[in-house]
Amino acid sequence: MIEISHVYKKYKNGVNALYDINLSVDQGEFVYIIGPTGSGKSTLIKLLDGEEIPTKGSVRVVGIDVGKLRHSKVPVYRRNIGVVFQDFKLLPSKTVFENISYALEVINMKKDLIRRRVREVMNLVGLDDKGNSFPHELSGGQQQRVAVARAIANRPKVLIADEPTGNLDPAMSDEIMALLDKINREYGTTILMVTHDLTIVNRHRKRTVCLEHGHIAADLEEGGYVQHDQ
Amino acid sequence: MISSIWRPIKEGFRGVFRHGAMSISAAIAVTLTLIIISLFLIFTLNVNKFTQGIEQSVQISATVAYGRESAEEEDRISLAIQNIEGVDTVKYSSKADEFQYYLDSFSDEKTREAFRPFEGENNPMHDAFYVTVKDGKMLESVAKQIEEIDGVESVNFGGSSAVALIQMLRSIRVGGGILALALSVLAVFLIQNTIKLTIMARADEIAIMRNVGARNGFIRSPFLVEGVIIGAIGAIIPILFTIYGYKYVYKLTGGYLISAMFRLIEPEPFVRQISLALLLIGMVVGLIGSFFSVTRYLRWKR
Repeated sequence: MIEISHVYKKYKNGVNALYDINLSVDQGEFVYIIGPTGSGKSTLIKLLDGEEIPTKGSVRVVGIDVGKLRHSKVPVYRRNIGVVFQDFKLLPSKTVFENISYALEVINMKKDLIRRRVREVMNLVGLDDKGNSFPHELSGGQQQRVAVARAIANRPKVLIADEPTGNLDPAMSDEIMALLDKINREYGTTILMVTHDLTIVNRHRKRTVCLEHGHIAADLEEGGYVQHDQ
Repeated sequence: MISSIWRPIKEGFRGVFRHGAMSISAAIAVTLTLIIISLFLIFTLNVNKFTQGIEQSVQISATVAYGRESAEEEDRISLAIQNIEGVDTVKYSSKADEFQYYLDSFSDEKTREAFRPFEGENNPMHDAFYVTVKDGKMLESVAKQIEEIDGVESVNFGGSSAVALIQMLRSIRVGGGILALALSVLAVFLIQNTIKLTIMARADEIAIMRNVGARNGFIRSPFLVEGVIIGAIGAIIPILFTIYGYKYVYKLTGGYLISAMFRLIEPEPFVRQISLALLLIGMVVGLIGSFFSVTRYLRWKR
């Protein structure tokens, strides 16, 4: 599903972000990517969603060489992956329903199909009754659930979650984790979750990849990373 | 499918009104540009018409030398003139015709009477050929070639001052064209900046659209519509200016400038054609401006 081989990333300003990264993730896996600030987590995500191009090596997702995509093909590639952000990135002027349906309108899905699919994912994330609410009327956890619903509305094969619990208190974080787990199990969606919340990593044990200074410092199948230098 | 056509239009209008002040300032830039272009077009097209009129009316007169007025000689000269490239028609006029024409130019009988002694044997006029050319630009070269024909005494083409005037009007036209072009570039630039602000205001939305896989064209289309709308709004005043201004000038001058030679183009359908051209130019300028702006923004990020 995801094949990263011998990837180096050096930014134009001279910053070396990643060195010789090799990572293989199978369909249906749930992987944590952890590491301190500046360890290259964000760069790794940007390489995966096509925002950045590797300096060396190749990034393949669902069989597509992401680094070699033409600029105009990147958006179409993105339909294969859903992304959830720490700050939710919901449109404040649109209701919950509209926020989710927007992601489907953008890819020209038919109106009636959109309506059905939006109801489906709202049910999945447990927000059936919040369709007409605006984001500011919801709690942080609920907003993040809307963001998750939007990310999976299009049935992506890969879901990338960039610090999805970063702005949430522990109870809400668990809520989101349970939701991601459910999506992973029920849809077989491959999930990559970047986090530095070690409590979560230790409580919900999954394969854990630890980045440090641009290198993969550890890749633990059984998860539960404890040792951390910071 | 229908919604995919209406969406950019709806969003485009929304964008224009959301940034009303910016839209207006960009539209004003378009307005100024289009007024200049309107003046330029009216001027150029009228000058074109003058030029054509003058060039068609100007003919070359070639007089035959006194000793060479035999029928054979004149046939030879006539043929030689006809063989020059660019010559349209050649008309012969005998010295008697010439004298009569000269006499007719006086309206009072007294003067005519005074010239009577020169009629017949004493006629001082020359036999002459009147030559018209196919293209006014060839006037000078044709005249020169006629002059070189053996037996031709002198060559004249009236309106050499008119030709000089046309030359001057042409250079003014080039200057006006450069000005209009420069202003168009300025208008494109201003629209580009306006659209940039609209884009910045919607940066979050665009980022989300990109994240969920919206094609560049999908993101771009509402902004293009917005640019076109601004361009069209900017064209309103220039169009009114053209229609009423030109009609007013036409009425004021009675349809011609200085002399009947400089006849103005009839206002209908002229003003309507110019208005349509202005509207199209405004919309294209808006389209180009916003296209540059959005494309640059989209290219900036993958």
